[in-house]
Amino acid sequence: MLKTLRTVVLAGLVSLSPLAAGAASTKKLNVVASFSIIADFARHVGGDRIDLRSLVGANGDPHVYEPRPADVRTIAAADIVLVNGLRFEGFLRRLIEASGTKAPVVELTKGVRPLKSTEQAHDRERSGHHHHHGDYDPHAWQAVPNARIYVKNIVDAFCSIDPPGCTTYETNAKAYDATLSVLDDEIRTTIARIPPHKRVVITAHDAFGYFAHEYGLTFLAPEGLSTDAEAPASDIASLIRQIKRDKVAAVFGENITDPRLVQRIAAETGSKIGGELYSDALSRPDGPAATYVDMMKHNASTIRKAIAPDVP
Amino acid sequence: MTRVQTGTIGVLLTTLALNCAALAGEKTAWRLFVSDHSEPIVNVIDLLKQEKIETFATKAPARLYRSKTGRTVLAVQRGADLVTAIDSGISFEDHGDHGDIKVKAPRLLGVEIAGKQPSHVVEYGGEIAIFFDGEGRARIASERMILESKSVLRETAPGMPHHGVAVANDRYTLISEPNVKNSDALPIGIKIVDKSGAQIGGVHSCPDLHGEATSGNILVFSCATGLLVASMDGSTPQVKRLPYAAALPSGKTTTMLGGRGLQYFLGNYGSDKVVLMEPTEAEPFRLVTLPMRRVDFAVDPVRAKFAYIFTEDGRLHRLDVVAGKLDGSLRVTGPYSMDDHWNDPRPRLAVAADKIAVTDPARGVVALVDATSLTKAGEISLGGRPFNIVAVGGSGQTHDD
Ligand SMILES: [Zn+2]
Repeated sequence: MLKTLRTVVLAGLVSLSPLAAGAASTKKLNVVASFSIIADFARHVGGDRIDLRSLVGANGDPHVYEPRPADVRTIAAADIVLVNGLRFEGFLRRLIEASGTKAPVVELTKGVRPLKSTEQAHDRERSGHHHHHGDYDPHAWQAVPNARIYVKNIVDAFCSIDPPGCTTYETNAKAYDATLSVLDDEIRTTIARIPPHKRVVITAHDAFGYFAHEYGLTFLAPEGLSTDAEAPASDIASLIRQIKRDKVAAVFGENITDPRLVQRIAAETGSKIGGELYSDALSRPDGPAATYVDMMKHNASTIRKAIAPDVP
Repeated sequence: MTRVQTGTIGVLLTTLALNCAALAGEKTAWRLFVSDHSEPIVNVIDLLKQEKIETFATKAPARLYRSKTGRTVLAVQRGADLVTAIDSGISFEDHGDHGDIKVKAPRLLGVEIAGKQPSHVVEYGGEIAIFFDGEGRARIASERMILESKSVLRETAPGMPHHGVAVANDRYTLISEPNVKNSDALPIGIKIVDKSGAQIGGVHSCPDLHGEATSGNILVFSCATGLLVASMDGSTPQVKRLPYAAALPSGKTTTMLGGRGLQYFLGNYGSDKVVLMEPTEAEPFRLVTLPMRRVDFAVDPVRAKFAYIFTEDGRLHRLDVVAGKLDGSLRVTGPYSMDDHWNDPRPRLAVAADKIAVTDPARGVVALVDATSLTKAGEISLGGRPFNIVAVGGSGQTHDD
């Protein structure tokens, strides 16, 4: 039988044995991130003191990710595993279990005020589809203030297992946090320019709850919180009615979802496709969302251009 | 608490219940469906009570296929040109924070899918494609329709008879391309057709195609030269070739299983070796030599890092798929030589919760092995020659409604 997932909350980290001080100065910290956005945070904090791997890579969908034996070996060799938590990584339990790792598994949403999953998404999941994140929306990184908490949590985690590197992690994080603070202001400014009655958009899956909550938009999504649950026809029909009623200006595809559903909704409602948003994965390095900061800027400006093209 | 993805993953809930104080009405149910080699019957065993609860008559000895959800068991009766459907009686419903289990008596669904020489059955994305060798075509059904006692959703156009395979989703069917010079030979590749039957692109070459498996969103076919790796996620299926590594000895895979919980494939490779395949890795093939020739194998859907291999000396071996090594074995039955006819009755494996069930046709029993300790855990006497076996079940909550 499986053991309980060894998720270590940050408070517990101090009790874990730090790397031998001598080893830490020569050997890089072996960090595994569950998906690309977390990997980007870790890279900013860890710099060249860490060796970093992301289980789910660019444009990969963590909702439906299938871990591989190689991932088990990666986890087994990790010094620390960084995950989102809020039951986002459905694959995590079997991976940790199979690896037998003793490495701390750190949930970066610790300290984030989680938003409840919407009732709409809940009801939909209840109708027989099997993928479910839990009672809370896990996509917390979609609000920059939460990303700053993730970064803080990473610093604490790295300092706990690599005290000699702590100053470096804190310095790196401070610089990055300043960037995030500027990013947060930029997004607020961008969204503030959009007239409030226009701030309703459609996305493929319900990944932008925190963005909406933080920056004052309404997102409607046919697929629910997970990309794994197919939207029932009745839900799509009611969504289409709502789109027509609320005069939704644009619908958006996502890098991790099949574009056809959004295309169909656009066709049936006469709304235009506003572009592609990045929700749960970064783009490849040559894409428009190679880093978290780029992703958030891209999303905000893509939305602004589509629904308020005349606003600068 | 967690999702109940399939019957077997439902067993996770048993563990979770330990961490979750207020789980009232927890229920576990497991059933084994066992066909007989000589007689046209399917026995149903309640695994917890360790007793036979039902016997269904079929028209010919059946090969059994269980759907991914475990709700349906298909009895493929090549001798009667027929596939019949059984409702396993165990179903799960995900309620988000918990999963419900419903347990009813198993029953014949009255669904009969007739056609010449049914062979491979492949489920993908909720659609079940049954290939009929004698017609060179597939009939495609959805589990939902079968459970409503309606059978065939659609069928592909008849083709040249051959020992083939098809995989379907709601838009496309991948179907084997026969060797036109010799229909007794194995297929030469895979083609993709849309719902109207129109072919998309050319034939993806796969000489001596035999064996296919899915693991997560990847589908593989084995060929004389390597694998065809297909993904049906995008707007059209993507098919890539993965040649066997030069370092492998000469040989090929003809029977494959897809990992559950971990994405990998396990295939035979010659008679006394197996190969672990991870198509996305830089070194995708790992060969494991067995102490004797292989009789059957199975992946463990609960303890994802393990698979089991049964060899002709009557031993069950546990394979650690992460390490790529056998890490334990147990003698379960007397020896079963692979020398005689390929279709002689020999042991078959199924994993049910924490038990591995092994049919022992010579003694008319199903032997049980504890999967955690790899020790004997009793046997269930059925008489006859128990042969093909599948397990369905799991744990969930029940409500008093
Ligand atoms: Zn998501």
